[in-house]
Amino acid sequence: MNPMDILAVHGPRFLQGLGMTLLITGLGALIAGLFAPWLALWRAQGGAVAQGMLRPYISMMRGTPLLAQLFLIYYGSGQFRPELQAMGLWPFFREPLNCAILAFALNSTAYQTEILRGGIMGVPRGEIEAARAIGMTRWTLLRRVVFPHAYRIAWPALGNEIILLMKASALASVVTVYDVMGVARQVYQKTFDFSALLWAAVIYLLVTGIFVTLWRQSERWLSPHVLAMEKRARR
Amino acid sequence: MTDRPVLLAEGIHKSFGDLHVLKGIDLTARKGDVISILGSSGSGKSTFLRCLNFLETPDAGRVVVHGEEIVLRNGRPANTAQVEKLRRHLGMVFQQFNLWSHRTVLENVMEGPVQVLKKPKAEARDRALALLERVGLTHRADVYPAQLSGGQQQRVAIARALAMEPDAILFDEPTSALDPELVGEVLKVMQALAAEGRTMIVVTHEMGFARNVSTEVVFMHQGQICEQGEPARMFAAPATEAFARFISDTR
Repeated sequence: MNPMDILAVHGPRFLQGLGMTLLITGLGALIAGLFAPWLALWRAQGGAVAQGMLRPYISMMRGTPLLAQLFLIYYGSGQFRPELQAMGLWPFFREPLNCAILAFALNSTAYQTEILRGGIMGVPRGEIEAARAIGMTRWTLLRRVVFPHAYRIAWPALGNEIILLMKASALASVVTVYDVMGVARQVYQKTFDFSALLWAAVIYLLVTGIFVTLWRQSERWLSPHVLAMEKRARR
Repeated sequence: MTDRPVLLAEGIHKSFGDLHVLKGIDLTARKGDVISILGSSGSGKSTFLRCLNFLETPDAGRVVVHGEEIVLRNGRPANTAQVEKLRRHLGMVFQQFNLWSHRTVLENVMEGPVQVLKKPKAEARDRALALLERVGLTHRADVYPAQLSGGQQQRVAIARALAMEPDAILFDEPTSALDPELVGEVLKVMQALAAEGRTMIVVTHEMGFARNVSTEVVFMHQGQICEQGEPARMFAAPATEAFARFISDTR
């Protein structure tokens, strides 16, 4: 079949797959993004107890394949079905979609934590001292000085992490989530037409391209003080 | 009330590991005092200044700000909120300016009043613009600190400290990081502040400022106050050999 015919016939399903890919990536990254700043703060400034708790988790998440983590949650939860049922958690773990999002969120939290920790450690010390000297509370200091700087420093790496997560989200297709990859496999199995996989690649490439453009734009929007210097340098 | 010191420090001790940096420093600043703290590098003068607003926690001693003693427990301030509150009464100007690089000049000056003192934005803005005019930088209000010269940045930092309407301002070697030709513009602003009766404690190497502008000079040597008094008297007739050597070395 002509690749265009594949698209014409299966296009709507690919669109649904795209929605699913964006959903699992977006939710995974967002949930990770809610936890990472606090864990990063803990990592950067916490005592021995905090380190002792966080390090094994981060090593686990970064040192094992995401696919293994996904299987561990999806198939592993089946092993503990009675216990999970007793806790009322079984309906959650029964759904492959939930397991995928949980796995991605846990994994991305580890990466985002480490990225943000680097950002927090890169905040100019003197600016923190100036904020303390003026009588800022710890929370105001975090909100007005530490996190604004940390996020600006970490922003490109965070964008990278989200792209990696988006591509890794194709793994969800293995546990019967119909994301872009899941749809492509389904269409391929039905038609034996290799262009189904090609279209999946094109979709991933497009999403990545759009995301990179938007992210770069947001980076400029976040860093007017850096832009002002660049403008001056060019003059 | 008039006699209450703006700032009082008694028996301040501080060690870093085995290094005993401060060995019992006392200092009283009354309203309108301009106290220059002199001393060779390593004499502990910056550390002492940082103990006054608890950027460093003294190992022992008392600090009284705004009539309130900061309570220490187990070598730490017993109450962080109290330290935060009392810091509002002490401005600080740093050697490296330490302006917030992600905020414009105007935002830097408004930050304390808005975020710490919870003043309305419009009021803080008017006041910030007035302060920028005083340090001659109204025309640079909307640029970022990195676009300013060192001297300009330090003048913004002074405006930022003034915006909190502090009881006293601590200056930590405010001209030491500046190119020689930029030192003058900062000293001029500091001199004007002194002339209007601001209470200032200045760690400096600027002998001219210490001699001509300050009301009191404190000379620190090896973690202790070695000599202290009226500048004219001290510079004309140093009472200690250490201070005599210090002036002749820096001349």
